[in-house]
Amino acid sequence: MALEDYRGDVEMCCRCSACKHIPLQKVKGVEHSYSCPSISRYNFHAYSGSGRLLIAKEMLTNGFKYTDKLLDIVYNCQMCGACDISCKYAMDMEVLEPINEFRIRCVEDGHTNPALDKVITSLRKQGAMVPGARGKRGDWASGLNLKDATREKVDVLYHVGCLTSYDKDMQKLAKATVKILQKASVNFGIAGDAESCCGGRAYQMGYKEDFLKQARKNMNMIKKAGIKTLVTSCAEGYQAFRVLYDKYNLKGDLEVLHITEYIDKLIKEGKLKLNKKVNLNVTYHDPCYLGRLGEPWIHWEGKKVPGYKFVFDPPKTYRRGTYGIYEPPREVLKSIRGVKLTEMDRIKEYAWCCGAGGGVNESNPEFAKWTAQKRIEEAKYTGAEAIATACPWCEKNFNEAIKESGSGLKVYDIVELVEKAI
Amino acid sequence: MALSKDVYKEFEDVVGAENISDDPVIKDAYRSPDITVVLPGNTEEVAAVVRLCNRHKIPFKAQSTGWLLFFIPESDFIFLDMRRMNRIIEINEKNMYAVVEPYVISAELQAELFKRGMICNVKGSGSTCTALALSGHGHMGMTVSTGDRNDLATEWVTDEGEIIRLGTLAASDEWFCGDGPGPSLRGILRSGGVITKQATKVYHWPGPPEYPLEGASPRYTLSQKPSNMNMMVRYFSFPSIEKLIEAELKIGEAEIAFELMGFNPSMVSSNITTSNEEDFETLERFTKEVQGPGFMVIITGNFPEDFEYKKRALEQIIKETGGKSLKTVEDPDVESTLLFQCTRICASIRETFRAGGMFSSIMVEGQRYDSHVKWLEEAAVWKRDLIKKGLIIADDGQQFGWGEEMGHLGHTEIFCRFNPYDEKSSKAVEEWLERVSRRGVDGHFALPLPPILPIDVLGPKTSNYHIWFGELKKAFDPNRVGEQTGYTYVAVDNAGVHSTVYRK
Repeated sequence: MALEDYRGDVEMCCRCSACKHIPLQKVKGVEHSYSCPSISRYNFHAYSGSGRLLIAKEMLTNGFKYTDKLLDIVYNCQMCGACDISCKYAMDMEVLEPINEFRIRCVEDGHTNPALDKVITSLRKQGAMVPGARGKRGDWASGLNLKDATREKVDVLYHVGCLTSYDKDMQKLAKATVKILQKASVNFGIAGDAESCCGGRAYQMGYKEDFLKQARKNMNMIKKAGIKTLVTSCAEGYQAFRVLYDKYNLKGDLEVLHITEYIDKLIKEGKLKLNKKVNLNVTYHDPCYLGRLGEPWIHWEGKKVPGYKFVFDPPKTYRRGTYGIYEPPREVLKSIRGVKLTEMDRIKEYAWCCGAGGGVNESNPEFAKWTAQKRIEEAKYTGAEAIATACPWCEKNFNEAIKESGSGLKVYDIVELVEKAI
Repeated sequence: MALSKDVYKEFEDVVGAENISDDPVIKDAYRSPDITVVLPGNTEEVAAVVRLCNRHKIPFKAQSTGWLLFFIPESDFIFLDMRRMNRIIEINEKNMYAVVEPYVISAELQAELFKRGMICNVKGSGSTCTALALSGHGHMGMTVSTGDRNDLATEWVTDEGEIIRLGTLAASDEWFCGDGPGPSLRGILRSGGVITKQATKVYHWPGPPEYPLEGASPRYTLSQKPSNMNMMVRYFSFPSIEKLIEAELKIGEAEIAFELMGFNPSMVSSNITTSNEEDFETLERFTKEVQGPGFMVIITGNFPEDFEYKKRALEQIIKETGGKSLKTVEDPDVESTLLFQCTRICASIRETFRAGGMFSSIMVEGQRYDSHVKWLEEAAVWKRDLIKKGLIIADDGQQFGWGEEMGHLGHTEIFCRFNPYDEKSSKAVEEWLERVSRRGVDGHFALPLPPILPIDVLGPKTSNYHIWFGELKKAFDPNRVGEQTGYTYVAVDNAGVHSTVYRK
């Protein structure tokens, strides 16, 4: 659907400001009540979910007028979807979809962000969203003797993801995942150098065509290799394969699992035993793309019923963040002896973003770190000594913010904690 | 016409370059093509901005949280978005008040108060709105009174940019009273200026420090039955409006209700449903189940015996007045939802905007039972005519309202929901608003809030209030840069501006 198809939705915005806050029942005080990093940082209404819809409404009516300020607003958004969830607590309307379509429109019209162009250049050249990446994608696995899922028959394809493959500091996540899968005797393989970016981040940045190219390429490889199940430890990869590929009818029957779902399953089936104690007081950060945006896609086509009610034929079921992946990561953490999980104020469907999404870590690193810093403060407020997450982009962004602020908070991916426990 | 570069620079010097903009796209988001937006961070900045407005004769308008889309100034303005002033200054448990800046929302203040066993008024428009005390009637008015009876000491920037500390704050740095020593200026606050801090009265809260919520949005549930927390929600319908009023008065006299919210069935169904389709299906069911007009009651006990007493007293009153309980609400899941929705006031948007995108309302505060209900019952007849013609959303068409201060006062209201982008529909609602307002004035029922009728129509009906008001305005705003509407101020979100048209 194009931006024009969401005219009815953008016209439904009543400027109630629900999009700026977490769902109101969940507000626990004056601290941690905001949901949207962009309006929280930049304050002008234009930077809120509502403001973005009102701008879209204006431009749909009177034509697109691109200015530096407009592009500043467009690209200073993590596309985290918090506004969408808070709005849809009460309203029947799409928020994130038109915001996403607006960004796609900007890219189609050639109004891109130079920093994001660089990332996309890297994607087009190397198949990775890591500008300046050196070496080959599968180098991290050298010496591990892993199966090549494109040639050998495996039950599970482990899709590693761009950041985990190329970033030296993040490769530990791939290695930890491998250890866990091996410990559970899973017949898995990787695609190695043949693995390519899922395209999810390109989509968030507005480069829809690049996303589609990646999606088709990946699904061709997956179909050719006869892969039935894909497991990934990247939340953005998970959302791309499970939600976006489905949205564009590319997923087919592929079963897509996040590593935390898979580990949870292995533990519950008795295939993975967590024997070692890990003494750690930890809080858990829900990655946006695993949590609220990890909710399955709902295929729907219909028309507005004539009249003043905003209802459709057939009735439209909205994605409201209810069915994101919230419990498996928590279940895994709770399975580790010695780990004490304390929740932050903003969790699950109304979690505060880590700051890295939507390409903001590339286009405006200061804002990405500012957003991460807010989360780190919230984590410390729980008394936890560490924040655990389930996405390499979150971990990297938290670490960068911590490095700058000098906070003593430790950051772990859940696979690192599981690795310690086996 | 935009500000000249030099003048813009003067404002920029006050708030900093990051906190001012006249970029067209920023203005698009405020739906106001002729404004320069400034984001003051403290009272001194507000005062400096207002003084600059006076020096250059530029009108200004301040807004706290904002709630509606159609509040569009018609000429060049300095628009003060108070978003950066978002601090709770003090919660004084001993003296039962809280001091807030304009961008603290009610949900935040209420959550802080719950932890301390206290509660504040939350405006009917919902807890996304400012927690400033002034104006704004709320569903919990039985217990927490109404906005303009809760405002205490106030820090106020006048239309000329002078910072005035009103009430006890003037003499003692204390916030506990809105008056004296010296004459009270509380009524004058409606003449303009910008409220930068205000104390609001808070009240006893017998409920939990935090609701034990489970599940995910949009269908949260309580992990405990309301009765386990000494709380109960019921909806009663009555054979006639007279019987409903009798029951309301008796409940008020008995002082047993924490909340008496005169929801009509469509507001109940909006609150407990998570989509338009579900809403209208539920409404159809409710409409068949009720015997006539109704209200929702929330009973809260401070301890089990208190709870039992209140329940029994309610039962007796309902028996005496022929009330019938809506069975659906007796279901603990539905009851739970209504309990937290209607004490945290989190679903007003479902009641108002979800169906069509907009609503327009006539509301009135005061002696609900003698005239207001009768007046708005007439309005309901005219509203049903619009429904029949297919001009507005078809709901049950009823007026609604609630008791305040144990029924001593009351709020009565009726609204139409519609699509604001449909001209025919908008025009029909505008005409309905005007017709109902004129009936209120001509029939001596009530004085509707501006701006539906202009102040020079309303003034002569109230001892020429508008002339007095004009004199006050001249004294406080000699350069005529402040609000000229005669009723607005920074907490304007709820003060009778539920109409589609902003008129200067």
